Amino acid sequence: MSILPSILAARNLTKSLDSGSHRVEILRGIDLEIPAGQFVAIMGASGSGKSTLLGLLAGLDTATSGTIVIDGVDITGLSEDKLALVRGRKIGFVFQSYQLLPTLTAEENVLLPHELAGGDVSAGIARARSLLDSVGLGDRLDHYPVQLSGGEQQRVALARAFMVKPPILMADEPTGNLDSVNGAHVLDLLITLNQREGTTLVLVTHDIALASRADRIVTMRDGAIVADELRDQAA
Amino acid sequence: MRLSLRTAGRIAWRETRSSLTKFLFVVFAVAIGVGALAGVRGFSESVRAMLNSESRTIMAADLSARQFAPPKPDQVAQLDQLGSRGVDRTLITETVSMAAAITPDAVPVLVSIKAVDPAKYPYYGAVKLSPEMALSQALTPETVIAGEDVLIRLGVKVGDPVRLGSADFRMAAIVISEPDRMSGSLNVGLRMMISREGFERTGLMQLGSRAAERYLFKIEPNGPSMEEARSAILEALPEARVIDSRESNPLITRGLDQATTFLSLISLIALIVGAIGVGMAMYAHLQQKMDNIAVMKSLGATSAEIIRIYTIQTLMLGLLGGIAGILLGRAVEEVFPSLINKIFEIKATTGWHFDAAVQGISVGMLTTLLFTLPPLVAIRKIRPAIILRRGMPDTKLPFRGRIAAAREPVFLGAIMLLGLDGIAGWLAGSARVGGYFAGGLFFSLIALAAVAALLLRGLRLFLRRSPVRLPSLVRQGFANLHRQGNQAQSILVAMGLGVMFTLTVYLIQSSLVDEIIQTAPPGVPNVYLVGVTLEQSAPLKQLIASQEGVLTAPQLSPSVSARLVRIDGQDVASRPMKGFARRYLNTRAITWENDQPGNIKVVDGKWWKPNTTEPVVSVDEDAAKTLDIRPESVIEMDVSGRIIKTRVVAEHNYEGARLAPSDFVFNEPALAGLPVVFNGGVRMQPSSAGALQRAIFSKYPTVTVVNVADVLQTVQQIIDQIALVIRFLSAFAILAGAIILAASVAGTRFRRIREVVILKTLGGTRHHIARIFSIEFLTLGAVAGLMGGLLASAFSRILLTRLLDAKFELDARAILVCVALTALLANVAGWFASVRILSQKPLEVLREE
Repeated sequence: MSILPSILAARNLTKSLDSGSHRVEILRGIDLEIPAGQFVAIMGASGSGKSTLLGLLAGLDTATSGTIVIDGVDITGLSEDKLALVRGRKIGFVFQSYQLLPTLTAEENVLLPHELAGGDVSAGIARARSLLDSVGLGDRLDHYPVQLSGGEQQRVALARAFMVKPPILMADEPTGNLDSVNGAHVLDLLITLNQREGTTLVLVTHDIALASRADRIVTMRDGAIVADELRDQAA
Repeated sequence: MRLSLRTAGRIAWRETRSSLTKFLFVVFAVAIGVGALAGVRGFSESVRAMLNSESRTIMAADLSARQFAPPKPDQVAQLDQLGSRGVDRTLITETVSMAAAITPDAVPVLVSIKAVDPAKYPYYGAVKLSPEMALSQALTPETVIAGEDVLIRLGVKVGDPVRLGSADFRMAAIVISEPDRMSGSLNVGLRMMISREGFERTGLMQLGSRAAERYLFKIEPNGPSMEEARSAILEALPEARVIDSRESNPLITRGLDQATTFLSLISLIALIVGAIGVGMAMYAHLQQKMDNIAVMKSLGATSAEIIRIYTIQTLMLGLLGGIAGILLGRAVEEVFPSLINKIFEIKATTGWHFDAAVQGISVGMLTTLLFTLPPLVAIRKIRPAIILRRGMPDTKLPFRGRIAAAREPVFLGAIMLLGLDGIAGWLAGSARVGGYFAGGLFFSLIALAAVAALLLRGLRLFLRRSPVRLPSLVRQGFANLHRQGNQAQSILVAMGLGVMFTLTVYLIQSSLVDEIIQTAPPGVPNVYLVGVTLEQSAPLKQLIASQEGVLTAPQLSPSVSARLVRIDGQDVASRPMKGFARRYLNTRAITWENDQPGNIKVVDGKWWKPNTTEPVVSVDEDAAKTLDIRPESVIEMDVSGRIIKTRVVAEHNYEGARLAPSDFVFNEPALAGLPVVFNGGVRMQPSSAGALQRAIFSKYPTVTVVNVADVLQTVQQIIDQIALVIRFLSAFAILAGAIILAASVAGTRFRRIREVVILKTLGGTRHHIARIFSIEFLTLGAVAGLMGGLLASAFSRILLTRLLDAKFELDARAILVCVALTALLANVAGWFASVRILSQKPLEVLREE
């Protein structure tokens, strides 16, 4: 499918949940390879399994069977803490509901992944500030999440996602909680930053307009991939 | 309202059932509170009953009235009328006379005679005799009974005849112990007991002879209350000194009063600590139910309807907890009765206390509701919009710390305080105690909230302004404390309260126990020596020291017989004095001391320096008050015709045991050269007291030995029991406090889950997250410990000095230990509540969004 080496690969991935009497198959044998630098949109109706797939790809949950390789590291069977370390180095996250720590200021939230990775603090601060600058929040460094609007919180989350220059960025409905103006703003920032940092972007959405900006659209239904199309992104 | 009570009840039950495990804690907290309450009340009732009966035993009656003249006919008529109202009485007459064996060479011995009606006396307790028999059997108009010392002195055996006054009697038995030995008026000396009819025969009771009349009263079950009886007796016998069994022995009275007040306080504390736990648990529960509430609201339910549902739920939980608490209390009673009996030597009342159970359950439900008011009222503030848009600020608990901020919280706070005041007053049976409690709680809440707010603000400023960049772990740990919309302040307040109550209980109990033990220090004499001459005193001390079973060195203090004649030049006899105060006109024993004895406390003026040659005197506080003597007054005493003029330099009172007190304590130069006898005592093993008595008699027959070992042992036992009960109940309250402390940290669990998964998502390891939390827990605990510790010191000081009439000393070590323990406990509790969270898979939580 691609000549580029894949930075994220899933092979025969399944996930099922036992809900008492019966077993619910959420993912049924997913095979997916994502080359470095690609912008992939995963689409599907609600309940199609797209968010679960994203979570598994990021090592946020363990698959029932199958393997996942992130940037050459097979994360199958890794312990909780090892997984955390992989995530910390390799993956940035943007969630639908921002998921900022309410205890920390905007700047501290952005700095957090860097600190968790044991990075040098003063260098970190400089980068955190420049990232917040580029999302237009250079003057809100000391604000706490509750003091920020939804759009602003999501921009802080964006800055945080890029903080440690992760090779992969994952976004789960990043504009889902925002109005169209703010949503568009956040999306523009996401794509701009993504291009500037040269990150691989995996985005889950059911918004066609949003997906249309991706290099590749993977469509899911009932826990399986039903379409996988590469788009010609000239613009 | 559209929602019927029944539907509301059904919804409430459905909600409760679906998360029953989550509610286990709430039920548990109420159960602990109610269990403590019911247990403490049942327990304290048993202890009170035990103490009451013991103290009645010590005076052999409920009340006694003593005077130095026989009652007039109209007084007798009044007493008879009282008798028809259910207050039975019996007369005891005490006097001194010579008794002798009926042999040609018999030497008469001075004995104190106690004439009783064996059909009635003693109302409580029993006169133990050897050979064993009933008093009414031993005492007939033809017999007397006496202490072993009397038989030794008279040289007679049981069955021998003795002469008393103008009549002959048969010695029927040896008196081993008599219950009211300590409360008689002429209790020092050789004791002989006689029936009233026998006493008539002696002809001793003639007009003018020195006798003390003492009425003992027993209140029948259908009779008036102690207070009513007391005032009726005082009305009939205005000159008499009336005491009731609660004050029969100064050694016990204070301990009993303090213990009673303290027990009420403890049960309150246990309940309030439990109620705080319930309030917090309900708050956390409603926080989690925000979504449900929002959904219900968006489906058209009004706030009032939802509040109704959750009020019903609260009451159901309160009821469940109450029932569980009663069962818990009952189970403890079932499992440990033998233990309780062993330790406390009382019969633990088993069986269902219906009243206590109903009271426990209703108080449990009431306090639960009271403490759940704030979160219930906060339901009104939950907007349906939150189900559409997450991440809005939390609805803050309007209680704790924000009392000053808005009208509604002030109003709520007032309701809670009033409710608490009412409950406290109800439980303690005293509006004053309730007021102190509610006031103390109010003040503590304000103080804790203010300190917590200041501290958190300071911490935040420090984090922002600090030139040093703290390690990121520490910074995050601290940051967790001052997060926006977080509960740190509430937790600090709750934990601080828990610590405060707990430490208060500890401080009060240790002070009280110290005090109670000091009231009857182990070294108090239990064998008294009367009439030792100056020459005898040194060899007698040696003799005692050579005996077995001596526990303390014998102490002898000088006694001079003197009569007070003038105060500041004014004749005392001319003073308008009546009733019991006239006793100061009689010849009384005075003494000298050079150094201030340990059990004498100067309340006014100053004790003299050891080498003062000027004659000076210190006067007992009560005597000084009655006689209007102050420091710098000059008193004149008549000692065998010699007038001693002395300047008063101090007023004193006796602390603890005062078995041979003296109202006037001089320095030695003031009484130099006057005829003196020494009186004193020694502490013996009760089993060796008899041998000592015989040894002294054989060598110094003129010295009177009084053995009160048995009585003192009873007193000591009671005091030990009070101390033990206090310790036991304190441990219970402390345990409840610890549970609540843990619960207050556990209450933040659901907030932490989010933090954990975000940190994990961002690459945080469990170890890393654990350290952040530890810093937070330790800081929280240490601060709460410090605040609680300081407040507890203030609170105990007020309680001890105002309510319990005891001393307070600041215990810095206790505060330090408290800080360390609270920090540790907060950490352990925090981990207990968070350990499962740590292994939470991030996706599960994030997907719930």
